Amino acid sequence: MRIISKEDFNKFVNSLIKDNSLNVAGVKSKGNKFAFGQLESAGELRLDYDVTLLPPKKYFFPQRETLVTYDVANGYSAKDPAEIKPTVIVGVHPYDIAALLQMDETFRETKSDPYYSEKRKSSIIIGVNIQNMSKSCFAPQMGCATIDQGYDLMLTDLGNRYAITIGSHKGAELLEKYAQNVTDAIARDIQLVGQKKREIMSAATQKFDFETELIPELLSKSYEENGFWEKHAETCLACGSCVLVCPTCYCFDVKENPDLSLKQGERLRTWDGCLLEDFAKIASGENFRPTRPNRYRHRYFKKGKYLFDRFGFISCVGCGRCSSNCLPDIANPVNLFNDMYHEALNMGVKMVPPSEPEINIRTESKINFVPKLATIVKKVPMTANEMLFEIKLDDGSILNHKPGQFVEVSVFGVGEAPISVSSSPTKKETFQLCVRKMGSLTTKLHMLNVGEKVGIRGPFGHGFDTEFLKGKDLLFVAGGLGIAPLRSLFNYVLDNRDYYGRVTLLYGCKEPRELLFGEELIALEKRADVEYKPTVDWCPENEIWSGNIGVITTLIPQVNFDPETTYAIVVGPPIMYKFVIADLKKRNVPDDHIIISLERRMKCGVGKCGHCQINQLYVCKDGPVFNYSKIKGIPEAL
Amino acid sequence: MKPKVAFFDFAGCEGDQLQIANLEEEILTLLGHVEVVSFREVMKEHSDNYDIAFVEGSCTRLQDEERLKQIRKNAKIVVAIGSCATIGGINSLKNHKDLVNVRQTVYGNKANLFDTYAARPIDAVIPVDAYVHGCPMTKEEFLHVVKSLLLGKKPEIPNYPVCVECKKNENVCAFERGQFCVGTVTRAGCNSCCVNEGTICWGCRGLVDNPNENSQKEVLIKYGLTVDDTINKFKLYFGWQEMKK
Repeated sequence: MRIISKEDFNKFVNSLIKDNSLNVAGVKSKGNKFAFGQLESAGELRLDYDVTLLPPKKYFFPQRETLVTYDVANGYSAKDPAEIKPTVIVGVHPYDIAALLQMDETFRETKSDPYYSEKRKSSIIIGVNIQNMSKSCFAPQMGCATIDQGYDLMLTDLGNRYAITIGSHKGAELLEKYAQNVTDAIARDIQLVGQKKREIMSAATQKFDFETELIPELLSKSYEENGFWEKHAETCLACGSCVLVCPTCYCFDVKENPDLSLKQGERLRTWDGCLLEDFAKIASGENFRPTRPNRYRHRYFKKGKYLFDRFGFISCVGCGRCSSNCLPDIANPVNLFNDMYHEALNMGVKMVPPSEPEINIRTESKINFVPKLATIVKKVPMTANEMLFEIKLDDGSILNHKPGQFVEVSVFGVGEAPISVSSSPTKKETFQLCVRKMGSLTTKLHMLNVGEKVGIRGPFGHGFDTEFLKGKDLLFVAGGLGIAPLRSLFNYVLDNRDYYGRVTLLYGCKEPRELLFGEELIALEKRADVEYKPTVDWCPENEIWSGNIGVITTLIPQVNFDPETTYAIVVGPPIMYKFVIADLKKRNVPDDHIIISLERRMKCGVGKCGHCQINQLYVCKDGPVFNYSKIKGIPEAL
Repeated sequence: MKPKVAFFDFAGCEGDQLQIANLEEEILTLLGHVEVVSFREVMKEHSDNYDIAFVEGSCTRLQDEERLKQIRKNAKIVVAIGSCATIGGINSLKNHKDLVNVRQTVYGNKANLFDTYAARPIDAVIPVDAYVHGCPMTKEEFLHVVKSLLLGKKPEIPNYPVCVECKKNENVCAFERGQFCVGTVTRAGCNSCCVNEGTICWGCRGLVDNPNENSQKEVLIKYGLTVDDTINKFKLYFGWQEMKK
């Protein structure tokens, strides 16, 4: 530990500011509040602050950030890799350091986010122990009021001096290079710092009535608690303030920003929040978390349960910003968890702290936000609303997808949308997308001509396990556009027919003219090694139909299969799953013999933006293909 | 072929068209993409042959409806610009008063020469394809909507409240400054411009799709606003939207 006088500390900060190779930010006053901002002189620093309006995450994950630029003539390119100036942030409280350490994990899991990690790597954190605790702060309860890692230097106010704890080699060098009159701390100073830290630990007025470790367990007992969430969210304004000011929230939206030439532009990401009404809404208009209580609950579960199970930490550091920014005053986690605890006690629920989850956070690769250019080589209209696109990557590479995976398709100036691949990987030179005209992107895609360009990212997600299914009897059940992803596996199976057992395809749509891949499917009727049964919900008088009439489930009793050896692959609109699964269960198909593919708002495709989450799972990363036995207990899934 | 565009005004201050006239540099680039065939504020020519109609102002008389319907018939795309056209705007304040008195106050002894009825946004009369909210609308959002239409996509207009932008801009909450704000229920898209300047959100962009108005009224009262003033705050811009519910 080192000691520096406050005067010399200010000189130290001023010499950092003078160095043009550094960005120096620190806590300053803003109205009657505080905020991190660019420092012009050390005199602006307010290290006695209670809490800042926004956490320092804005330096690494800014409110608005360009991911990709584009030019219709040249395609997409990564953001200009202008040299990132290292940012020195002066005055970060321990809870905000704890939050950054959590965010490091979320942004590096499986695929690391290059924009976050580059800025983070070059940064220097000068922390300060809390001198004034905000009245909403409960950091001591979360174990985040003091911290022993995650900083380069940590200051403790000792009256006219600061004690400096050196946290990294980078911190020591900074002090060496820019500071003067730094002395070694004597035993009394070290004692004093220890005493200050103990005082901080007992300063919070906000306290849990139970052990913090119980939070994940408390939540898992309260998911469907009668009226609990409705009661607590009754006055929720769905304004998103609680999540936007949160130091551990990392959900984002991606937007296209064409310039006025209409030929160039950028794609940016902006902060988003799961409390906002349209967060889980997809292009068809379906909203998977439609009510305020649904979304309010999701926030607590994400913080206290889902991220705990995935990363081993409760994603709350006790800064209290959510609670002080909530006008109806319903966002205070201490109040909510205390209510939950007392309710559970009254109900006689037994609670034990959860065992440490098994954590295995790896970084496999970097996220590439830059789409590859590709050309539409063929367009085949299938119905009034669906078109089959055949696409070839311009760099000559093959997509190399697994059946069931999806790609993110970009259209210049419009944006990006997830679309499942309809062709089998056995077809190598090109791949196919069957696209329904639905939102802006798909409508625009339909208007593009053969020879025009699109952008492709991916393939993404967890597809069908073609190896595992070998030797099994397969019962394909497709509803409407569900045939599109299902066809990638179905055609793969037909191309490797000898490896699979009996193959049956049940396919239903509303009326005959909505039938997709008509000719291809009719050809199946001639094959002895495939049983094909189509159905329509109804047939208008002016159309001809000789097959079954009735919803898809009416076909299930018409086919013979052995539930022990059969795997059912079910893809269709959300409403279809419940009914098809119930009828398969009637035929004794075991849960783990049912494989489904889910549709959500998969915005980033890499398990970060949060839009496609169904409870703890990311559809883009853990799905879209799921084994029913693994998700049947997940309330938001079906 | 460049799409032909025309501008029309109904009951309003023409402040939104002024924003377009004030575009300066961008207007030249914009004129590379569209042909303006009618714009009373800046040109004297007029044609009824247009693809996109931008309509400012609210509909306040039965006669206005005929004109609106004709515009709808002529145009492929109708865009409402400014609060009066998108949500009824402050003209809707008169809807809470006796219309006979309103006419007398405005026109005095000539009142019987002038017709009036409850002010309403233009989508209460004709289908509208796109909205540029705001009082006045901002140039940025106007350009955003125009670019979207030219690129053949539905303009993305936020369905979250101004608080989202306020938080991103790291403003001190108006309530923390002792002021009363309706940004909690007002549709964002303005980049919280008023609060950025140290004032409050008055609600000029109208309510979000599914606002929790009761909770917001409770908040205003909890922070010390009288019940009457709270009701007035909601009347200022939300009058038509509230009445429609």
